[in-house]
Amino acid sequence: MDENVAEFLRRIILKIPLCEMKTILEAWDFLSEDQLQSINLKQRKEFLAQEVILLCEDKCASLDDMALLDLMYTQFHRHQKLWNVFQMSKEPGGNDVDLFDMEQFQSSFKRILQRALKNVTVSFRVYEKNSVWIRVAWGTQYSQPNQYKPTFVVYYPQTPYVFISSCYLKSTVPLLHQALKVASKHHQMAQLDLRSRHLDSLTAIVFNEYDQTFENYNSTASWREGSLGLKTDLDSKIIHENTEEKVRIHRATQEAFGAYPQPQLEFAQYKLETKFKSDVGGGILADRKEPLRCLVKFSSPHLLEALKSLAPAGIADTPLSPLLTCIPSKKMNYFKIRDK
Amino acid sequence: MDTYDSQGPTSRRRTSNLKDYFVSATPLQKRLKLARRQSSVFPSPSRRKIPQCSQLQEDIDPQKVAFLLHKQWTVYSLTPLYKFSYSNLKDYSRLLSAFIAAEKQKGLAVEVGEDFNIKVIFSTLLGVKGTQRDPEAFLVQIRSESQSSREHRQDKVLWTGWFCCVFGENLQETVSEDFTCLPLFLAHGAESNTSLIGGWFQKTFDCCFSPLAISAFNLSWMAAMWTACKMDHYMATTEFFWSVPCSPQSLDISYAIHPEDAKALWDSVHKTPGEVTQEEVDLFMNCLYSHFHRHFRIHLSATRLVRVSTSVASAHTDGKIKILCHKYLIGVLAYMTELAIFQIE
Repeated sequence: MDENVAEFLRRIILKIPLCEMKTILEAWDFLSEDQLQSINLKQRKEFLAQEVILLCEDKCASLDDMALLDLMYTQFHRHQKLWNVFQMSKEPGGNDVDLFDMEQFQSSFKRILQRALKNVTVSFRVYEKNSVWIRVAWGTQYSQPNQYKPTFVVYYPQTPYVFISSCYLKSTVPLLHQALKVASKHHQMAQLDLRSRHLDSLTAIVFNEYDQTFENYNSTASWREGSLGLKTDLDSKIIHENTEEKVRIHRATQEAFGAYPQPQLEFAQYKLETKFKSDVGGGILADRKEPLRCLVKFSSPHLLEALKSLAPAGIADTPLSPLLTCIPSKKMNYFKIRDK
Repeated sequence: MDTYDSQGPTSRRRTSNLKDYFVSATPLQKRLKLARRQSSVFPSPSRRKIPQCSQLQEDIDPQKVAFLLHKQWTVYSLTPLYKFSYSNLKDYSRLLSAFIAAEKQKGLAVEVGEDFNIKVIFSTLLGVKGTQRDPEAFLVQIRSESQSSREHRQDKVLWTGWFCCVFGENLQETVSEDFTCLPLFLAHGAESNTSLIGGWFQKTFDCCFSPLAISAFNLSWMAAMWTACKMDHYMATTEFFWSVPCSPQSLDISYAIHPEDAKALWDSVHKTPGEVTQEEVDLFMNCLYSHFHRHFRIHLSATRLVRVSTSVASAHTDGKIKILCHKYLIGVLAYMTELAIFQIE
């Protein structure tokens, strides 16, 4: 086995957490069951890597095998990448009934990249039948592919959506888009203003799958009776007003967000170019024609759940601004806001 | 900082000897209050001068200023130093070097990297003061001499701290001549080194460090004063960070305004020439809240302001500041000195 290939394997093994080692090696499906059993998982990772390298040498492993292992690792650790969403489209009037052929897609994609760059490593893995994961390590006409800075692509065949990990090599972007369009028989490709580390949430948003549990909507009624837990010896009028107000906020929040768990996003960004208008202080910036240029960023480990909790916590008005509640329906978390 | 609280037996004995001069915070507090009442120079809390480029600042060695800028400093308040003398800086360098070497030998956590020669250097920062009566600021650095490259012997700075007093003469007036008042201490480097060196100062000069947190109220003042500063060109946006106490998920909001637009808003709010008043600070912040509310229907006033950042400087509620503009170095330090003195009270 080539020295570079061994080193590549060593680095992949070192970045896999020990508790996932077995699962990932099994999913890789390269080593035999007996070989997997023989690996001592209780030793230092450095030695473990050495052991795996020896096993792979016996099986004459190639660079492509290692690239597949890297792809497996990334599938398990997809949240470590920032994912961009692209939507492809076909020209009107084309023959739109195309049956998707996975093999044809893969060979066509690979051929386009190889023809342009000569040196490129392309690996595929079909995942849960409805998506294909692609790993591309980029080289040039004259240099070997850099295995340590690959781009990952997740494509859902027969849909217009592609998810691409943020790419450090900007020059490769047009070629990658070209290859995807041709292989999937599309003509245009546009980036959505939607980005996240949570790939699963992005797919849920673009395929409108996040509201599947929408059915249990009648929870407002039970909420009104049960969970408020107000004591009956308080002034009944106050209770009534409080209850009415809380129920109103709760209902408005559910109408805006639904009764289901929100898809997970980490941020939303708004570029505001709107004129300053305020009833505070009177006439402040009243004569200024230019807008106030602002950039507002919301960030949270779980943005939509955090936004959902603002009105009930009394931090925001009810209903919450549509700018915040429209994120999943508009499939956007980057906005530019101007005065009409 | 645990180290500061746990005084050794030596320092406790010294403290009791010092009773006649000045020790506990109470007499100082009284004198400070008296001084404040008497003095008309001291800015009243609801009105402050817009930072101006100081004349004294012209004296500062530009290389030293460059060194102070663009670094994140953790700020502390510091009670007056007993029997500190500017003529002994060389001795202090020697003593503190020996102290660090001894601590290192004891195997205590001194973050000096590998086994290099450690040097401590004290030097004055001429001109970093508000008036002639402010004591000189001084800088302490721990450097390591790298042994590997003898030809290009280059010292690596491991830790830096500096002590200053800008427009703090009122504090000086409240204590006897044996004390040097440098109420603002700024450190950059490993925290363990800060507490080690703090411990040495505490024992040697019978002083006390406390971390200086910056409240949301003071952050608003900083935002207003720094936005008010005239700039030849802006290097950064005017940015506010809020932390929203919502459960189960935390939420952070960053609100950045184009610096020219922030200045235009300030100019529209600002009425008192050369000064910033409490009403103006409140109105400025309320305008920002209201503009934000118009778009997002969120009440920023119900959330917690944790950081402000402008082309002049940035400050975090945890007591971390970064000064960006050399022209307003003194202005920023003057406000920080005021906060430090307020904390010592």
